[in-house]
Amino acid sequence: MNRAMIAAASGMAAQQTNLEVIADNLANADVAGFKRAAASFIDVNAGGELGLGTAQLGRHAIFAQGKLMKSGGPFDVAIDGAGFFSVVKNGKLAFTRAGAFTRTPVGEVQNAAGWKLEGVQLPADALRVTVEKDGRLFIDTAKATHLAAGSIRLAAFIAPESLRSLGGTLFAATRASGPVQRFTPGGEGRPSIAFGMLEKSNVSIVESMMQILSAQRAYEANAKGVQAADEMLRIANNLHRS
Amino acid sequence: MNGMQWMASAMHAARSELETATHNLANASSDGYRRFSAHLALTDRGLVPSQTRTFEQGALRQTGRVLDLAILGRGSFQLEGEHTRSGAFVTDRNGYLANDRGSKVIGANGPIRIGDATTIASDGMVRDHGRIVNRIPLPPGSSLQTGALEASNVNAIGESLAILEAQRAFETAQKTLVAIDESRQKAVNDVARLK
Repeated sequence: MNRAMIAAASGMAAQQTNLEVIADNLANADVAGFKRAAASFIDVNAGGELGLGTAQLGRHAIFAQGKLMKSGGPFDVAIDGAGFFSVVKNGKLAFTRAGAFTRTPVGEVQNAAGWKLEGVQLPADALRVTVEKDGRLFIDTAKATHLAAGSIRLAAFIAPESLRSLGGTLFAATRASGPVQRFTPGGEGRPSIAFGMLEKSNVSIVESMMQILSAQRAYEANAKGVQAADEMLRIANNLHRS
Repeated sequence: MNGMQWMASAMHAARSELETATHNLANASSDGYRRFSAHLALTDRGLVPSQTRTFEQGALRQTGRVLDLAILGRGSFQLEGEHTRSGAFVTDRNGYLANDRGSKVIGANGPIRIGDATTIASDGMVRDHGRIVNRIPLPPGSSLQTGALEASNVNAIGESLAILEAQRAFETAQKTLVAIDESRQKAVNDVARLK
């Protein structure tokens, strides 16, 4: 009974984790640039024998492309294809697919949480900014139009799924993800930058709701397993009294 | 074997059935998991429980993710030191196909490197820029589906029923055991009383 109880309890814990991941996906369904995550599980077995329930194999973000939507922001950018924007804050480097940036008074470009787009510095007299598919920035000033003002480079990883989530849309490089590789976007069939667009989250609300229902039912079924094991233990304990 | 020993073995068998069902249920969300089925053998030592793994195909769940692989038919993926039917793979930091724990998938030509132009076909052939570079070995008649995962083949209703059945079988055996005990008690205390 004890083995049964351990197995059933591990199933409850797995479904709990599952629910947390799905709830996190759902909560961020409307956040531009958010990537859904998935937890995976594996049975705990001892060389083909019946094992002791389940264990978490891992949890990774799923970097499937989100739909691009037109947005009103003056410095909104989205990545069409694989890759990340590099952002810095207080000397720390992070990577994100969220491209809702605004311009600061000193010409930097930052997101709502204060993370600055790496390598971009706009001149003080820039009135209007445009970004090309290949990441080149052009500005209009009071005196001239279409002046070159640097470019946005993107970051890539050999194993993006092993990036560590910093919460929300931010990720940090890890040993397992491999070092950051910088590249210039654009070109035939390669990732490019879409200016004036934002990437929607890749969370499907309908699919998430279905996942929640099935995780809940599985949780309940495992709870029944714990109850049954408990009940049988009680019966066994009463053997000598009756 | 007397009646009490028989009932004790029946209780042991019910416990084993419960363990099988709870282990299966715990893995309702483990991709590629194949459920165990419980069997009982009637021997002169009482009921002897055993479990065997089943081989029914689990349902395929479309994910659209390129590194998600499902096997249709028999066979399994060879990882470093283990086999699995769970095909939710990622690339490791050297670009090799691996699972979430970092265990590499071993193809016919060793670990499988995934580049920008790598494709995996339904016959298991791994091509880079159209040239065959490796192969995921599959038994004859089996095929690979990319962009899909094989869900666990556990049926939650079936396992819940098995739990109930095990519980009832356990209770029945216990009640019978108690009845045997009581009749013996009578035999010892009443029938043999000299008065």
